Amino acid sequence: MVTVSTLAALAVDGLAFGASLALLGVGITLVYGLGEVLNLAIGAFAVIAAITAALLIDRGMSLPIAILAGLAFVGVFGLLVDRTLLSLVYRSEGEERILLGIFTTLGLTVLLEGVMVNYVSSRYSLPLGISPIDVGATVVTGTSVVSIIVTAVIIAVLFLFLNRTFLGKATRTIFQDERGARLVGIDPRKLRTLVFVLSAVVAGLAGILAAARSNVSVANSFQFTTFALIVSIVGGIRSLVGAVVAGLVLGLINTYANFFVGSYFATIILFGAAIVFLLVRPEVMSS
Amino acid sequence: MNTERLPGARSLALVGILFVIAPLPVLGSGYYIGVLSRILLFALFALALNIVFGHNDQLFLFMGGLGGVGAYTTALVADSFGVTPWIGLPVAALLCGVIAMSVSWVSARRRFTVILISILTLNLQLVFSEAFIGARDLTGGSTGFPYELFSLSGVAEAVGVPTAVVLYYLILAFLLAGMVLYLWLIKSSRYGIAFEAIREDELAAESIGIDVVRYKAIAGFIAGVLIAIAGTLLAREASYITPSIFTFLAVDVIALIVLIVGGIRRTYGPIVGAIIVEVIEAALGTYAANWRTAIFGGLLIILFLYFRSGVIVAAEDLLEDWDISLGGGNGGTPTEADAES
Repeated sequence: MVTVSTLAALAVDGLAFGASLALLGVGITLVYGLGEVLNLAIGAFAVIAAITAALLIDRGMSLPIAILAGLAFVGVFGLLVDRTLLSLVYRSEGEERILLGIFTTLGLTVLLEGVMVNYVSSRYSLPLGISPIDVGATVVTGTSVVSIIVTAVIIAVLFLFLNRTFLGKATRTIFQDERGARLVGIDPRKLRTLVFVLSAVVAGLAGILAAARSNVSVANSFQFTTFALIVSIVGGIRSLVGAVVAGLVLGLINTYANFFVGSYFATIILFGAAIVFLLVRPEVMSS
Repeated sequence: MNTERLPGARSLALVGILFVIAPLPVLGSGYYIGVLSRILLFALFALALNIVFGHNDQLFLFMGGLGGVGAYTTALVADSFGVTPWIGLPVAALLCGVIAMSVSWVSARRRFTVILISILTLNLQLVFSEAFIGARDLTGGSTGFPYELFSLSGVAEAVGVPTAVVLYYLILAFLLAGMVLYLWLIKSSRYGIAFEAIREDELAAESIGIDVVRYKAIAGFIAGVLIAIAGTLLAREASYITPSIFTFLAVDVIALIVLIVGGIRRTYGPIVGAIIVEVIEAALGTYAANWRTAIFGGLLIILFLYFRSGVIVAAEDLLEDWDISLGGGNGGTPTEADAES
């Protein structure tokens, strides 16, 4: 018999999973909104951050420092990708650029997976060491609660940055009108670099939180990418708020479906939701 | 064969003969027969992609999933109705044809861009992959089941050659049939002309009375049928069916590379590309099996950034430049680079 407390505990876990989904969705949405590159390598970025942090802990580093180092590493890696690969993609325009972006980032994710598998082939986890929390009659996992809080803080900071600071506002102007932004002296290319690095770090955080809740391996990278894709389809590829809401809702649905009908069917529900949204509202993906 | 009816029939016959004699020097080696079979199989996948993506701008990224549906359906129909897989295969081909046709029809009706179709079909691919693993009662889950259909070993014994050789010729027969279909469809039927018109300018094609939705649906159907056959034969070649044969990385990525290497919209592009890719794969298998995935990933990036029109075309252009002029205005790629913003 399923009790209310079980349902509540599931809700917390669902929101925690949804938090990772929301971060991945925000990561893919930021880059697509700003440069029309659909970053299919975003899952690999998540995995890179998580594995880097796990490896550093093995070398004796403390948990917070290892996590920060993992995020920094994936940020630098994002910068590298942006300056090399994406510079080539940004040379083309319109639909051509979108297609090129899809294929180069797809190639990148295959390349990264193929390289990493040779060096870091096991499963990695980042136990935060937080004991379960009693909330009335329910026991919820502490890691889930921390995941939700950390995600909420990071997303709040991100929104403050985009809405309050000059740099953030400049970024949003490119979202809306690239030529207009250029006319008032904003260099879109520099902001695209900034946003790409930002998205890599946000995705990295999603990967680290996933590793904190269970474990992460190289094989997860494409799975994370598909999650990000689903979230951005359901939430609308250009809407950050949409990505957050879609991430949380899909996280809840997936966790409940997982519990009641099994994991394969739960995954199929996720993809099914994306397909339905694509068919009903295809305009969310078009430029 | 009357060359008047089918343009290019003669060169196809030549290619066919080359492939017929190709295994003769290596009949004893199961390894080389396997490589040859994989060349044909991925040429078949790329042929389907050439029709639906090359000539129709519908980027299907669920070839692995669809091929898997074909392979499982062939086996399940044969098994549950107690009929020969030779009946199961047409049923599977029809099913996959209808699935692909529905995708094309819906996408065309809703005026999906090539990007939207690619994302839609990628999602379908992942649904199929999950379903293959999840529907354990039907598919045997991730452990799969032996796949030794079409009673090829009987034929092989009668002729006195290994089963793999018989399978090779079976795959070759399907590929050549597919090539005949391609030559007729693209080079000599009204479909080819309509496809070209739609690809150039969809609105203009519609305004002169071409039913865009219908033509795209037909292209989807044909691709679906070819993919189902290729998928079934792929499982037969492995002689054991598991979901891992039909993943996005195992089928779609390779077929895309094959098509781009060989040259999109070129008649023999899929075959040339498959030969190059499988030779690379065979070389990697010997020297750097662990780096296979990484190298194909890098290849995908380089191909799309620098050789969009095909490596063969690029090489031809280069040779032409050397022969005719040194530094004259080379043709370049006059794509629609004009920004429409």
